[in-house]
Amino acid sequence: MNGAGSRSAPSATAETGPWAGDRFRLAFLAAVALLAGLFVAAVALGSLTLSPGDVLDVLTGRSDNALHDIVVMDLRLPRALVAMVAGAMLGLSGALLQSITRNSLAAPELTGVSAGVILLSVLWLAYGPAGVRTGRIVPLVAVLGGVAAGLVAYGISRRGHSDPLRLLLAGVLVSAVLQSATSMVVLVNQGATGGVLIWTIGSLNGRVWSDWALLWPWAGVTVLLALLSAGRANLLQLGDDVAAGLGVRVERSRIVLLIVAVLLTAGALAVVGAIAFIGLIAPHIARQLAGDDARRLFPLTALVGASLLLGADVAARVVTEPIELPTGVATSILGALFFLYLLRGQRR
Amino acid sequence: MAVATGQRRSLRGRSGRATAAALALVLLGLSFVSLLVGYPTLSPAGLGEILVGGGDELPRLVVTELRLPRLALGVMAGAALAGAGVLMQDSLRNPLAGPELLGLSSGAVTVVAALTVFELSVPLVLYPWFALAGGAAGSALVLGAMAGTRGWNSPALLILVGAAVAALLGAAVVAIVRLGSPNDQQLVLSFLLGSVGGTTWVDVRVAAPWLAVGLPLALVAGRPVNLLQLGEEVAESMGLAAARTRVLVLVLSAALVAPVVAVAGAIGFVSLLAPHVARRLLRTPDARRVLPAAMLVGAVLLVGADLVARQLLAPRELPVGVWTTLIGGPVLLVMLRRQLGGANR
Repeated sequence: MNGAGSRSAPSATAETGPWAGDRFRLAFLAAVALLAGLFVAAVALGSLTLSPGDVLDVLTGRSDNALHDIVVMDLRLPRALVAMVAGAMLGLSGALLQSITRNSLAAPELTGVSAGVILLSVLWLAYGPAGVRTGRIVPLVAVLGGVAAGLVAYGISRRGHSDPLRLLLAGVLVSAVLQSATSMVVLVNQGATGGVLIWTIGSLNGRVWSDWALLWPWAGVTVLLALLSAGRANLLQLGDDVAAGLGVRVERSRIVLLIVAVLLTAGALAVVGAIAFIGLIAPHIARQLAGDDARRLFPLTALVGASLLLGADVAARVVTEPIELPTGVATSILGALFFLYLLRGQRR
Repeated sequence: MAVATGQRRSLRGRSGRATAAALALVLLGLSFVSLLVGYPTLSPAGLGEILVGGGDELPRLVVTELRLPRLALGVMAGAALAGAGVLMQDSLRNPLAGPELLGLSSGAVTVVAALTVFELSVPLVLYPWFALAGGAAGSALVLGAMAGTRGWNSPALLILVGAAVAALLGAAVVAIVRLGSPNDQQLVLSFLLGSVGGTTWVDVRVAAPWLAVGLPLALVAGRPVNLLQLGEEVAESMGLAAARTRVLVLVLSAALVAPVVAVAGAIGFVSLLAPHVARRLLRTPDARRVLPAAMLVGAVLLVGADLVARQLLAPRELPVGVWTTLIGGPVLLVMLRRQLGGANR
């Protein structure tokens, strides 16, 4: 593993020394431990607070308290699982977009991808053929919107000279227009799209096993795809000319990776709604720990994203108890502040 | 040579007046239509009868209590937003400066949403003051986050910081509505999108005094704003206290936006778009001439968009802000494409 980082990894920073592997392993283990701790907290905390011992009893089937069983097994456990997996997907999506665009500020919600996914989902909910308006088909349809919006923003930003901020500029404007269209569809179809507004902010409220059943097959495939595309992402990070020189078909690779990123976003959004800023922050934190090598960055990003969303959900549930805020409110507030902080570093 | 320049200037001046006259005519036409159409649709003769105080009871009430105040607010709000847009863009020398991205609208909306949702006993007359305070806080957040960074006034940075602050305050509005009156999506959307539906004379009376003072002041501000456009050093060398003037101009634009947000919510893209349209029409960046033209353009945009909002999907009505964003966003993107391309060099 020590050698793996430096063998062919086209790392831009000096994270390839003999200690890089150790550091990565340490960070990885720490992230796993953090996630495990948050998981216990997510299952234990709430209007009925359990001790970690109680939680363990329920999970191993030794509890004789029926209420504990219901609260943990039917409510908190599926919700925590959904939060972790969706967070990992959103984080990975951001990491992929950042590699494709070689832009550390790219994220699904800043490149138009999320807005495109949302608009098409809402359109499908409102006008799709009756009978298949909900369920597994929605993210499949929504992917088209995400890819289209991402390509539009990317296309606009590529005119003339390249600049890391131009993609976001185009992305923000494209998102504004798509959001407006979404609002319109929602307002015209109040009946069919009831509750959509909370979904466009993102919430984990009331996620149960049926949501998990919707999420995990999609997550299994797309997360695997994302991890497998790490090598290609590494090549794209070298820049178009170098990558082309190494025999990569740059534009095609980019579109393939964009599709993977949108698949991740669409799958997560379908279940938890448009939770913002996880895709921006998770890769940033992971990059501090793992460097730019995508083969390390991507797995760590998934762990960090899972921890972030799980933590935000616990916060949204516990802080304003007994009223529960949509999880997206918590991530938006924390994420926006973090984003402002990043911008300062970027422009100094 | 001097003669040629003089001639060209006078020609342009005339075309400016012609443009203004044409815009005024369009506005008049749109106003007329917006008083006529709807349920019940009136004939011009019927409308004339009502306006001089006659006509049947029902149509008269519809016109005088529903359509007229709505039209009045639309015209005033459009003019105020557009005027504020010119002031902000020119004094900050940033083509994307506007209440949306400067955090002004979102700050004001957050405060107004809190006042409404928590049913605090604040008289409506004071709403603009609260909106102004919220807007000032929002702008301070944006400008503070931008200040101190290299190339701090680039349009690119503004749009990013503005988007982040808008997301932050948007989340705050959702949280407020969630805590105060859960399950009311209509309420959230009408705050965030902006609407002049359901305007009464009370709303008009709240906003009117602000705009009666603010709009003439904005027109007078054309000269110092022109100097600010030239840059800090040039403005200083011509005897203008640039920093202080800029703050005053920004306060004035905030005072134009606050009453509009207080009664109609954050109507997007009017103040971003109208100044650019006016500059294109007049082919000049001269703020003294752009300001009145932009106000007319803003009023036309808002009244026109509201007409669409009322009629296109009738009897259902959408908030006018949906349409201004939906139309304004792509137009702005196309108009600014070249400028944005070179903006961050």
